[in-house]
This record gives sequence, C-alpha cells and structure tokens, in this order.
Amino acid sequence: MDKLEHYLDQVCRGIGGPRAMRRHVRQELREHLLDAVAQHQAAGLPEAAALDKALEEFGQPQEVRSELEATHGQRMMAVVIDKALEWKENTMKAKWLWTTWAHLALSLVIALELFFITFAVTFIVPRFNKLLHDGILDRALLQEPGWSWMPDFLAALSHVAGGYTTWLMLLGIAMVGLFEWRVKSENKPFMRLSALGSVAVGLMVVVLFTGAALLVSFCMGAPATGRLARSFAVDQVAKIDASVSAFEQALAKQDWDACGDHADRAAQSLDQFLKVAPALPALASDKDAQTVDALQAFVTAANKDLAEARQAIRDRDAVRVAAALQKFQHSFGPLREAAKRQAP
Amino acid sequence: MDTELLKGTLSLLILSLLSRKPMYGYEIVVAVHRETDGAFSWREGSLYPSLHKMEQGGLIIGEWEEKETGRKRRYYHITKKGRATLKEKLQSWSELCSAVNCILEKSNGQA
Repeated sequence: MDKLEHYLDQVCRGIGGPRAMRRHVRQELREHLLDAVAQHQAAGLPEAAALDKALEEFGQPQEVRSELEATHGQRMMAVVIDKALEWKENTMKAKWLWTTWAHLALSLVIALELFFITFAVTFIVPRFNKLLHDGILDRALLQEPGWSWMPDFLAALSHVAGGYTTWLMLLGIAMVGLFEWRVKSENKPFMRLSALGSVAVGLMVVVLFTGAALLVSFCMGAPATGRLARSFAVDQVAKIDASVSAFEQALAKQDWDACGDHADRAAQSLDQFLKVAPALPALASDKDAQTVDALQAFVTAANKDLAEARQAIRDRDAVRVAAALQKFQHSFGPLREAAKRQAP
Repeated sequence: MDTELLKGTLSLLILSLLSRKPMYGYEIVVAVHRETDGAFSWREGSLYPSLHKMEQGGLIIGEWEEKETGRKRRYYHITKKGRATLKEKLQSWSELCSAVNCILEKSNGQA
C-alpha cells in the first residue's frame, strides 16, 4: 500500500487550510480508495491490479490536487517543496554522474595543489633562499615583526616536504586503504567526498601561505635589488670612462692597435650596461618616465658614436675618430653626471 | 456522457442522493453508477472537491462515523439550506429540461 500513500502524498501535498482539515481530507480519500480496492478485489482482481484500477478511476493526482486546491486554497511552502522534490527526483537519476564529477574535481584540485607545493619546494624555495643568502633580497626587512613568519614558514615547508614526503605518502595511502576496507556506511560516498574536500581545503591553506610567503617576501626584499642595479650601473659607467680615457691617450700616440682594444672594451661595457634593464632606471635622478627615456636616448646615441669611432679606427682615419669621440663624450656626459649623483 | 454536462449537474445529483439518506463519498459514487447503469462515469476524485465546496457553502455537513469493522467513514448530511437549494435546483432543472425538450421536439419534427 506504499503506492496508495505515495498517491495520497501527491494529491494532498499542496492543499491549503488547517492541518486537521488536511488530515481529514487525506483520510477521506484513503477510505474511498480502500473501498474501491476492496470492491475490485471482490470482483476477482488481485490486490495490486485492484489498487491500480482504483487509482485510475480516481484520476490523475495532479488533476485531483488542482481541484482540491481550487476548493481549499494552496500552500506556498508545499509548492516550493513540490518543486524541490521534482528537482531532486530528476537529479537523483544522474546521481552517479554528479558523484563521479565531484570526486574527479576534488582529486584534480588536490593533485594541482600537491604539484604546486612540490614545484615550489623543489625549484622556487631553494632559489629564494639563495637570493636571500646572497643579499639580493634584503634579509633585514624580512626579520621585522609581522614578516618574519614568511622565511620561517618556507624553511619549515622545505624541511617537512624534504624529510617526510615518503612517510606522508605512506600515511595517506594507509588511511585511504583503511577507509575503503573498514567503512561500510551507506554514506560512504559522502564521507569520501568530505574527506577529499577537507584535504583540498588544508592543502589550499598551505598553497596560499607558500604563495604569500614567496611573493610578499620578494616584493619586500626587492629594494636591495634596486641598490645592486645602481651599483652595477655606476661600475659600468666607470669602466666605460676608463676605457675611453685610455682610448684617447692611445689616439694621441696614434697607436691604432691600443685604440682598437680600448674602444672594444668600452663597447663591451656599454653593451653589458644596455643588457641589464634595471641599470638605466637606477641612474635616473627621479623615476619618472621622461628622465629615464632621456637617458635612454643619450645611451643609444653614445653607442652609435662609439660604433662610428671603432669603424674609423679600422679605417685608420684619425680625423673621423676624433670627431666620433667628441660626439660620444657629448652623448655620454649626462650618464656620467647621473652616475656621480648621490643615490636616492 | 459528456463530462461537462455532468459537472453542471453534479451538485444537483449529490443533494438529491443525500436528501434520501446520509452517505459517504464512495457510497455516492456507487449509487450514481448503479442508478444510471453506468451512464455517468467521471473521475471519482472530482467528487470530493464538490462535496467540500458544498460543505463550505453550508448545503451539507460531513461527520466521521466509525463502523464495527474499524473503518471510519465521513458521512454527509443535507442541511436545511441544502434542501432549499435542492428545491430551487430541481425547479430550475425542470424548467431547463422543458425548454430544451421543447426546442428539441420542434427541431426533431423538421429533421
């Protein structure tokens, strides 16, 4: 008779009015259907067929319900529940699809998180530690309260991941095995999903801390990189100056071989200066784009003048060499001045 | 029989049957089926909205009664107002039948 009660559920679900009245309506319909079933059984039908016939004669549940709702009114909550049940029935048909998809999605998230942590511990953290050790990242800034946890966290992560990876993997495998072997609950798929979700959330916290520790530490320690860039730029300008001075002295002696060597050395230093992108901005008095752009134009011109001078040396043309050198000194002057200024 | 025609006459049939004696829902269905030789066949579920509407209108009263078998049944009794309404409906039905028959007889004569 579950079928009968299910039918009554469908008919009476949305009827409005007091609870007692709704109970009476359901009871009355049940009695009618039981009478009809008994009548059909008396006529020779088996119980299941008698019930089917009684329900058929009573009418489609939706039609009976809509007529009863027209008389007694409709319950809004019942309509909402009705829609929810309908949705549940539809989605339950695809239960395996949703469950499989949820397992796959969570497993993928966990795999990506493990990949990130492994990559960070294997490749990024050692480089980060080297930069810190070499002083390229300012260690003093990272020892201030509020920031000191970052290098500590990265060190702890490297220690755990480096020394206990095998044990952690074995522990994970053992726990999964125990779960699959021992747990027999009907909620097993949901328990598995909950466990996967918890692991994913835990690893996500580790990923966020790792990312934050690497990124923020790098940004915090970056000023040291700026000071290194200026130091490099000043050094290169001095080298260029020294080579060009030697070049001028050699030119005065008409020593073409020495001229060529010194000019090559100057060109080499200028080339290295141009290759290191932060070097030029590090020399600018302030960091606005116009000043950096102006210095860039002077350096380009100086490079071109030096190339002309080297060609003139190869041609053994003292007049052209002198003219090119004069132009070079004019182009290189602002850079020399910038290198002499106090670092900001 | 046309169910639309039946719908219009259902309350008349119910009041008429209940004017004889109190009845419960299934008993009304069986009585209609028996007395019309099955000419009236309708969705049995439609009976209860009509009964409840008439009860709300004060034409009938429903009361639960428990039988020796242990089954409970809701018996409907016609009220004074119900009897007055039945009388009016019978009068209207009689007038309607006469008028319809009059037209049908004349039309039948020309056919």
